[in-house]
Amino acid sequence: MTTEAPTIRRERLQGAGLDAALPYLLLAPAVLIALVVLIYPLWDGIRASTQFYRYGKPLRDVGLGNYLQLWTDPEFLNSLWVTVSFVTLAVAIEAVIGLLLALFCSREFRGIRLLRTILIIPMVITPVVVAIVFRLIYASDAGMLTAFSEALGGQPVQILGQSGPAFFALVALDVWEWTPLMFLIILAGLQSLPVEPFEAARVDGAGAWRTFVDHTLPMLRPVLAVAIVLRTIDAFGTFDQVFVLTGGGPGQSTLLLSIFGYNTAFKYQQTGYAAALFVTMGLIVLALALAAVRLLRRVEAS
Amino acid sequence: MTDKNPFQRAMNRRTVLQGSAGLAVAAALGGTTTVPARAADAKKVIIGAFADGGLTPFKQKIIPLAKTQGFDITFLEDEYGVTLEKWFADAQNKAGQYDLYLLDDPWVPQFGAADVLEDLGAGGIDGTNSDWVGPLIDMGYWPPRQGPRVKGFETATPTLVTVPFVGDLQTLTYRNDVFTDGAPATWDDVITKGKAGVAAGKIKYPVVFRGVTGNPIVTSWYPVFLSFGGEFFDDKWNVTFNNAKGKAAADFFVGTMKANAPPGVVEFDSDQEGAAILGGDAGAIIQYSGNAIKSDDPAQTKVPGKLDFGVVPKQEKAIAQLGIFIAGVPKSAPNKQNSIDFLKWYTSADTQAKLAEAGSIPVTRSGFAVKDPGNRLIPVALKQLDAGALPRPRMPDWAKIEELLGNALNKALQAGSGGGDALDAAATQVTAYLKQAGYYG
Amino acid sequence: MLRTARAAVTTLILAIVLLPIYWMVSTSLKPNREITQDGTLYPHAPSFDNYTHLFSEKQFGSFLVNSVAVTVISVAVALAAGSLGAYAIARFRLRFGLERWIGLSLLTLRIVPPVVVLIPIYLLMLHLSLLDTWLGLIITYTAINITFCVWMMESFFREIPLDLEEAAMVDGDSRFTAFRRIVLPLAAPGLAATAIFATIVTFNEFLFALVLTATPRAMTMPRGTATLIGRIDTDWASMSAAGVVGALPIVIFALLVQRHLVRGLTMGAVK
Repeated sequence: MTTEAPTIRRERLQGAGLDAALPYLLLAPAVLIALVVLIYPLWDGIRASTQFYRYGKPLRDVGLGNYLQLWTDPEFLNSLWVTVSFVTLAVAIEAVIGLLLALFCSREFRGIRLLRTILIIPMVITPVVVAIVFRLIYASDAGMLTAFSEALGGQPVQILGQSGPAFFALVALDVWEWTPLMFLIILAGLQSLPVEPFEAARVDGAGAWRTFVDHTLPMLRPVLAVAIVLRTIDAFGTFDQVFVLTGGGPGQSTLLLSIFGYNTAFKYQQTGYAAALFVTMGLIVLALALAAVRLLRRVEAS
Repeated sequence: MTDKNPFQRAMNRRTVLQGSAGLAVAAALGGTTTVPARAADAKKVIIGAFADGGLTPFKQKIIPLAKTQGFDITFLEDEYGVTLEKWFADAQNKAGQYDLYLLDDPWVPQFGAADVLEDLGAGGIDGTNSDWVGPLIDMGYWPPRQGPRVKGFETATPTLVTVPFVGDLQTLTYRNDVFTDGAPATWDDVITKGKAGVAAGKIKYPVVFRGVTGNPIVTSWYPVFLSFGGEFFDDKWNVTFNNAKGKAAADFFVGTMKANAPPGVVEFDSDQEGAAILGGDAGAIIQYSGNAIKSDDPAQTKVPGKLDFGVVPKQEKAIAQLGIFIAGVPKSAPNKQNSIDFLKWYTSADTQAKLAEAGSIPVTRSGFAVKDPGNRLIPVALKQLDAGALPRPRMPDWAKIEELLGNALNKALQAGSGGGDALDAAATQVTAYLKQAGYYG
Repeated sequence: MLRTARAAVTTLILAIVLLPIYWMVSTSLKPNREITQDGTLYPHAPSFDNYTHLFSEKQFGSFLVNSVAVTVISVAVALAAGSLGAYAIARFRLRFGLERWIGLSLLTLRIVPPVVVLIPIYLLMLHLSLLDTWLGLIITYTAINITFCVWMMESFFREIPLDLEEAAMVDGDSRFTAFRRIVLPLAAPGLAATAIFATIVTFNEFLFALVLTATPRAMTMPRGTATLIGRIDTDWASMSAAGVVGALPIVIFALLVQRHLVRGLTMGAVK
């Protein structure tokens, strides 16, 4: 069987003999690597999540016991709550500021090139280093905020040692680091908008605010939606920054799911339980993403 | 880059591999140039340690000394938060990256139970030598010679799998202008005289401690609990920390002590704790030697000369928490014999004396007997050891138990009451956890 | 008035971005004593001691070498394998509707947080005795990179009209030659964007490096930097110097390839 039936929308090449095997050959290396390194371990991890581990070795099968235990574990529930609050707050702020920045840069002005260049920096710096930057800001003895406060005659500033401030400090870090990404995506969206509706609006005498609400925002909705979804999915897996900034503390106020899972797996050696946690996390994010895709389709259709 | 077919891609891949082989050679060379040149017959020992001020005297004075004895030490330091899992993975995997781990003593049960450490007794280190400080060498055995045994090890012979390396324990640091008759002997003294000190304007708060949930709050609560006569488990691992004595200790801690401590204490960790005592606000604090010794550093303290050290206050007893650096050799160590030789030399009377002179708490009596200890905390440490010092329960799951206990205590501390109830709640969780972990038949 | 307002806002934004970085650089030039005791706003006696200490005592050089090597190799392999696979998906109809399955799995792997496969990969490397080795890291990173290399390159390939290749083949070119002469040059910007994106992500990767490496023979720069974060007796001087040295290569790289980088980042969002 060497000939493909001709398709009406000609998206596929036609060929014979070796050419028929070609796609599979081309795909082979990628699929092989992904299979061995990602798919098989993922399957292995799902299997591990049904076991009870002790000192790194599986002891007995507990079926779905680990999963059930998760949902009655106050530490997990707290961690889930912290993660959801963190993601919601951070992404919301990033979207708003990103939008404002994009609007600000929608027309050329003096210094805009410099601004756009500098704005890349927070996104590309290693997240571990970003956390170091912010530890150096927040530290109560050696930090920038304390230095400024004392220079103005005040007291050392306590941030990372207290639950509430530590949480918001983490949100601030995320906003500093990732708003540029939102900005870039929304800006690209802005720049790809058709010009005519705005021309028409201007001719009609519409003010800036009206133009924004009636034209810009609706047309930007798909782009905004994509940016928010992508950022949300990534924010759920935040690990590096929290690990370096607070380690999950003080107490459990910044204990994101990823850190909780890491502790469970490597500090307490509850490998099976942690595996169940990660699978659950993956399912939650997957559900979120699918819901978002559906929402996106509806937004694009309108 | 624009003119490639799959064959050419493969070619590029090969050149990349060649290039990376070149990089690998460079890295190997780069690696060796950071290790100082050594004698051809030096004994190589790779030590893994976590960054801690308690090891500074060892690093600065003992390692050079070891080099003169023919040991070539590679000292790999890492952050405390990652060392447990790294070393355990190394030992389990038999990766052979380390010859010696400088463990935190609560980790011994985990390593011991996994049977990944070398039998040092069989290797020639005598655990029965009377020069060892009793409570310290006890911690080197798995299963422990006294106390309850974890399931699966009830009939096993205690083996010396680790040896104490650098001693450390909690002692009391107090203001000598408030407690003018020396260290306050009882908890009552602490509060009463402390309040007098506040009234006299010398201090703001009689005590300060750590309230952050988890290890910090449990560590602060530990000496109180032990002094009130509390015990964590009976010899069948049934939870006993919520008996009457334990609850009394918890109520005292979250009630009286909190009322006499700085207001933010519920979120204090070592930084804030240290700031309170060194800054002159607090009357007394129980802390480990690493922080205690900062009291003598004029650059760190605002009340130089006013801070002294003593044994922890007594209720029924006066027992502090013992937490030492303890050294183990993995079965997969690449230079196993060198490692054991190094330990023998290190724990000899001579070297321990030098360690004490350098300012670290030694682990042998002869080390303590040295005439000129490097810091004035060392004799006090010996006094505390003799008065009473207990390590954390010898079980591989202590980290999790501590977390559960810490959460409950922290909640009660925030409320300022309900210490006893918190212990009951924690007891239920801990029992459930231990049951699932197979501790009870 | 508008111009001054714009200038003010621009300055504010630049300040917010650059002030933290200035602080880290300034801290890295001070000794520990000045950092914790004096809390000065700028270094009073700037020196590079912290940096020399970083390379001589803390073996930072090894970390950097490991990072560069592992990143270059895994990105190269992932890009090659991923592009070939992407071309296959973009151009051919496979049996059993395979391309739909592959597309779905790729999407899943892209969406699900990497932490989900952390333990399984750790166990895999444990069994293969590849912990704390370059190879272990390279294999892991290659696999992770392949997923979005395929994802990104597939879109780029699809944008290239079919007619060009078919015309070339009608003129006598083999499929390979058509691919080489026509498709690749057109896809070059896409390859560049994908490669840049993969490089940044791989160089900055921390979680897997944390779990899969232990000694300077394999520790990458982010992993090595983590050894300095110390919560006991923090060594601010070394920590800040490490931050500066760690950030420099990737920031310089990103600034040099800005245009492609921006294109790659926004590609998925704006069609």
